[in-house]
Amino acid sequence: MKNKILYILISFMVIGHFTCCNEDSWLQRTPKDRITDEQLWNDPNMILGLLANYYDRLPQLAGVFNTGTNAELDDAMWSGHVDQNSRNDFNYADDYGRYWDYKFIRDINLAMENMELYSQKLTDLQKKQFKAEFRFLRAYVYFELVKRMGGVPLVTTQLIYDGSGDPTSLQMPRAKEAEIYDFIYDEIQIIQDDFIQTQGSRTRANKYTALALQSRVMLYAASIAKYNSQMGAPISTPGGEIGIPEDRANEYYQKSLTASEAIIASSEYTLYNPVGVSKGESFYKLFMDKSVSEVIFAKDFMTGKVHGFTYENVVRSFRSDIEGSSMLSPSLSLVECFDYLDGSKGTLRDKDAVGNYIAYENMSDIFANKDMRLYGTVVYPGSNFRSQTVDIQAGVAVWENDRYSFRVGDLGTIYDDGKTLTGFDGPRDNDQYVSNTGFYIRKYVSENAQDGVRPSLASNWWVWFRLGEIYLNAAEAAFELGLPKSKDYINTIREKHGGFPANSIEDLTIDIIQNERRVELAFEDHRFFDLKRWRIADKILNGQDSDVNAVVHGLYPYRICRPGHENDGKYIFERMKPTRFKKARFFRPANYYSSIEQKVLDNNPKLIKNPFH
Amino acid sequence: MKTKFINIIVLIFITLTSCEYDDFDQPKAMLTGKVVFQGNPVGVRTNGPQLELWESGHALYTKIPVYIAHDGSYSAALFNGKYKLVRLSGAPWEPQSNDTVIIDVKGNTIKDIEVIPYLIVRNESFQKNSSGNISAKFIVDKIVQESNLAEVRLFLGKNILTDQNKHEYVVNADVESIILGQEFEMIAVLPKEISSTDYLFVRIGVRSNKSSEFYYTQTQKIILN
Repeated sequence: MKNKILYILISFMVIGHFTCCNEDSWLQRTPKDRITDEQLWNDPNMILGLLANYYDRLPQLAGVFNTGTNAELDDAMWSGHVDQNSRNDFNYADDYGRYWDYKFIRDINLAMENMELYSQKLTDLQKKQFKAEFRFLRAYVYFELVKRMGGVPLVTTQLIYDGSGDPTSLQMPRAKEAEIYDFIYDEIQIIQDDFIQTQGSRTRANKYTALALQSRVMLYAASIAKYNSQMGAPISTPGGEIGIPEDRANEYYQKSLTASEAIIASSEYTLYNPVGVSKGESFYKLFMDKSVSEVIFAKDFMTGKVHGFTYENVVRSFRSDIEGSSMLSPSLSLVECFDYLDGSKGTLRDKDAVGNYIAYENMSDIFANKDMRLYGTVVYPGSNFRSQTVDIQAGVAVWENDRYSFRVGDLGTIYDDGKTLTGFDGPRDNDQYVSNTGFYIRKYVSENAQDGVRPSLASNWWVWFRLGEIYLNAAEAAFELGLPKSKDYINTIREKHGGFPANSIEDLTIDIIQNERRVELAFEDHRFFDLKRWRIADKILNGQDSDVNAVVHGLYPYRICRPGHENDGKYIFERMKPTRFKKARFFRPANYYSSIEQKVLDNNPKLIKNPFH
Repeated sequence: MKTKFINIIVLIFITLTSCEYDDFDQPKAMLTGKVVFQGNPVGVRTNGPQLELWESGHALYTKIPVYIAHDGSYSAALFNGKYKLVRLSGAPWEPQSNDTVIIDVKGNTIKDIEVIPYLIVRNESFQKNSSGNISAKFIVDKIVQESNLAEVRLFLGKNILTDQNKHEYVVNADVESIILGQEFEMIAVLPKEISSTDYLFVRIGVRSNKSSEFYYTQTQKIILN
């Protein structure tokens, strides 16, 4: 009996052995739960999916609807939940703006190498297209690295550990700051004609996207070369990891101008300037309408991929969610940067020469005849939002003992005379979810009430590059090169976007260019980096309690309550310092380049530290 | 009942013993001192300029930042050991990031740190003159030859922490008219909101073009009314 079982078992084993050998493939099946490199790199749709991930990871500091960081500069303060009031009460730390995303760099390098290795079914054109996009993305990431950290290690291939126990081969020293800028320029020179499939695309890179990046990058390099060396003590390291030699400025300005002019000369993009619509309205539409021909490159959003910018920043009484709204309150200094259309400086006329309040019939009168971009950027007292007049009124000014005394109440309260005390949209000092400065942001905030409701939220897109910036880049580069056409570029944009008469500026100065960029590109992730590259950040954000720029101020409208007087019922405006704003913005020279994390320094002894750190 | 009692005993023992594992003594040695130039303390902006301490021999190598008080004094609570002190840039003195100061901390240790300011102010005196304004007399000296005088300011505040960032009132001197090494006088005409206070803190700051930080004199209190 025992033997019988043994025989049967042995015979099964023998048979099984033979059959198994024939069918070797049983063990080599295509996995169902993962995608192999061969599959990925031979399927253009899957590569596109990968690219979408990379486009989504493009870095920003105060961009892509990042409400928080926007509230940490001189353009706005934080009026959201008090838990986050640190945004009004902080110093830029040594690591402010630190960025060291070599994981992303590696992912891109790896993608390019794998495409070379595995792609057999892709046509040469397809490969060229994808490769150009990968290199564009890598150039963009390196730009973000260099503008925050200075010269960084330039890694363009996968770094592979050989297992020897000696990591020296992976430790790369920092490149010079200029070398990174040159690398980005060269990359774009090589790839700009390789974008065959994405012509006309606004959300994938194409020739003009690459040129737009080149225009911006070269302008940064040029202004660092010029303005760094004008500092009393230029910020630099002996090895050139920080600091660009002054003599390269003109070359960089020229390269930037060439790129900008190539975009301007193409018929692909036009400054958005529709007839029959007010300029303020169209400047707002420029960011909200996805068919606008001014946009060069944008990050798109749609149902399922949404952002909370409208929820976070909608005017208080227009909020359609149970909380949120009003988190970003634009500053008075930003509002005053918008010039008057007659060319005079934008300082608001709240008091006359002897210090008496000027009374206005309508609240919006004080903002009359200002640069129309103000309307498109900021919701100010008396202006419209969602086709309704906003209810901004801080309180009433009662005439007592030969002077005005101010009375304020809760939101939407009525004064003794039966008229509004404090409006439904505030402003209210020291309150949350209502403007603390008297202003709300309009740029990028949706007119559609449904866009402010969680979780469906808003799906308007984020503009990375647009022709307006290219005009300003061209104006600045031409100005620095001493070319008279710089005036034409800046006057064109002032005319088409701001509603100024033609040739509104006769004597162009760098101050005007700096102001124009602040106005045109407000809340578009430019301000911080512009201040840095002009090397004026430590002068503008100087940490002084008495400075009207470093300390965010507000402007509160009050209704005059003075029965029998001609000014009764009119409005006066009071400049004020919001209580929630605790500490003047203070940018130290150490903030021009963020510190490198100690862990990174420990792992790579070849890295040298940034100055001041 | 008995098991419950034993459980509680065991629990108490576990809590007591486990505490021991991560129960270090707090650092007890105080390292104190002043930042000095030729023996005189250097006034700075509160928490502005920084020194940093390093202690090698640990797996986690990270700096201990040391902030300097307005009068130039600093302090750090440390464990006994050998520390390296670095004078960082971003201060009114020359950075000496490669020239570390080695400090042996054993119990409470006092160590003054020598620095080389770009510019200094000496022989300062403040007076309330007959018209109720404040006059300041002082001498500016250049220490580092390559630096230039960029700003001279007279700061007035209601708080002892008066500096470039925190002040009630400030007067700028005309830099062109200052001759290095010679006495200079500045007069602060006090605005109404300030002149009515009982006392004021005053100090003079000079800034070279090499740094964004001022060299300050020690704060002085002036009785106004």
